[in-house]
Amino acid sequence: MSQPVITVANLKKHFTVYKKQPGLLASFRSLWHREYETVAAVDGVSFMIEQGEVVGFIGQNGAGKTTTLKMLSGLLYPTSGDISVLGFNPWDRKSAFQKQFSLVLGQKNQLWWDLPAMETFLLNQAIYDIPETQFRKTLDKLVELLDVADCIHIQVRKLSLGQRMKCELIAALLHNPKVLFLDEPTIGLDVIMQKTLRDFIAEYNREFGATVILTSHYMDDVKELCKRVIMIDRGKKIYDGSLQNIIDKYARNKTLSLVFSESVPKKSLTTFGSMKEWNKTSATLLVPRKEATKIAARLLESLPVQDLNIEEAPLEAIIREVFGTQAKAA
Amino acid sequence: MALSVWSVLFVNQTELFGYTRAEMISYIFVAALLQGLILATALHGLAGRIYSGEISTLLLKPMSLGSYFAIEEIADKARNVLFTLIESGILIALFQPQIMFPQLAVFGMFLVWAFGGTILNFLFSLLFGTLGFWSPETWGPKFLFFIFIDFSAGKLFPLNILPEWLQTVLFLTPFPYLTFMQSQLFLGKVSPESILQHSIIICFWIVFFFLLNKFLWDKGLKNYAAQGQ
Repeated sequence: MSQPVITVANLKKHFTVYKKQPGLLASFRSLWHREYETVAAVDGVSFMIEQGEVVGFIGQNGAGKTTTLKMLSGLLYPTSGDISVLGFNPWDRKSAFQKQFSLVLGQKNQLWWDLPAMETFLLNQAIYDIPETQFRKTLDKLVELLDVADCIHIQVRKLSLGQRMKCELIAALLHNPKVLFLDEPTIGLDVIMQKTLRDFIAEYNREFGATVILTSHYMDDVKELCKRVIMIDRGKKIYDGSLQNIIDKYARNKTLSLVFSESVPKKSLTTFGSMKEWNKTSATLLVPRKEATKIAARLLESLPVQDLNIEEAPLEAIIREVFGTQAKAA
Repeated sequence: MALSVWSVLFVNQTELFGYTRAEMISYIFVAALLQGLILATALHGLAGRIYSGEISTLLLKPMSLGSYFAIEEIADKARNVLFTLIESGILIALFQPQIMFPQLAVFGMFLVWAFGGTILNFLFSLLFGTLGFWSPETWGPKFLFFIFIDFSAGKLFPLNILPEWLQTVLFLTPFPYLTFMQSQLFLGKVSPESILQHSIIICFWIVFFFLLNKFLWDKGLKNYAAQGQ
């Protein structure tokens, strides 16, 4: 069995913050008396990731996802715990380590704002010591995959958000990193651009066998890219396993959308499942997941059904349910 | 401006505070050149860049942060020196003042001291940068520092016009080595015996501030929160 690429053991990051009441008087008071509070942003998280895996980090805002990624990249110093990425301790910030990974933060750019993206690419070539032939080959490939040949010679400030994000990705991938940390890579992009970036990430993972950790609030990103998810809530890991397992465990219902050829009274539908919507010629029902097909068959037999659709509950709803259950348990 | 003020003061006398007219004019030109070389810095906003988390992208790259800032500084200084030379050239052509030029060996030493002063000021800039690890409020201390530098580095006037006791106090600090001592050397006002002594003092301050920087940067980076980025 291959060695895991990323090993994290009992990782903690605590921040000390000070609380201040509003108002001028409170501002003066805070000069000599401050109330400090320790916030556990990451609180004893452990996991292992094998080479070539694409893992989704899911959690609400402030759950500790980005803090974990920043510790894995060597930006933040852990309060306690052990991290090994590609056999390195990230905090040592060794060049040999930094040449093998990349962190892409969706809201932050490394591109020089007033210069064309190509200048940043050339600077990165020098910083990462990329041989000319490899640089040209990788650049041509990335530019073609992301379809930005027209943009890389234009000032970054004049590019659209989508074009800029694509150039960001190129800058982050020019040195062919073996490990990729992506923090909200699709934030603020339209659905078409989100899809393009997702396809690209999947392709990069396949082609280079790169290990990817991805955080996103868009469940489509997670659903399409990650077989495995790690869920974090208030700094603690609450789930680590396959995405399908979560769906099987927490998605108790499926949604049946029905369209009728003539109006159907509400009463005759309630026996099949719980009613979500109804307006005479159409209805939406929630039915137990395991019995969905049987109930659909019965509906087709007994009612004038013109169209019927069986849908899995949206992943967002399932994730909400998982977090809800955990909150109650806590 | 300094040129006009001193020109007026020298109208009725040949010597003031131990400086002849030619020496004072040379002092002003040399001090202006040294200001562009030593005191100007591209790292004014460093603390802000740290506090806002902007240095995160630099920290992720396989390069040393110190070298990166040093290169930023060199690029900035190259531009400053070029412009100061052009400006001084025009002024010299217009007013044709008598400027004293030292012997070659002294001039060589002057360049070494100027380089030492540049390193010293670079270390000060890095030191102010570390404030950004703990606080967004760096304007106050920096403002006080620059006002103090104006008087204590010899930017506005040569330090030997100050009372004796004040000079003694100032020479316990590294500030006279940021412009004043270099221009004194240029004007031939430093005795050959004391050149070594001053060279050792410059080295001492460089080592001292290098170690202080190392300590504070190591501590600061552990405290770094990479906020907002």
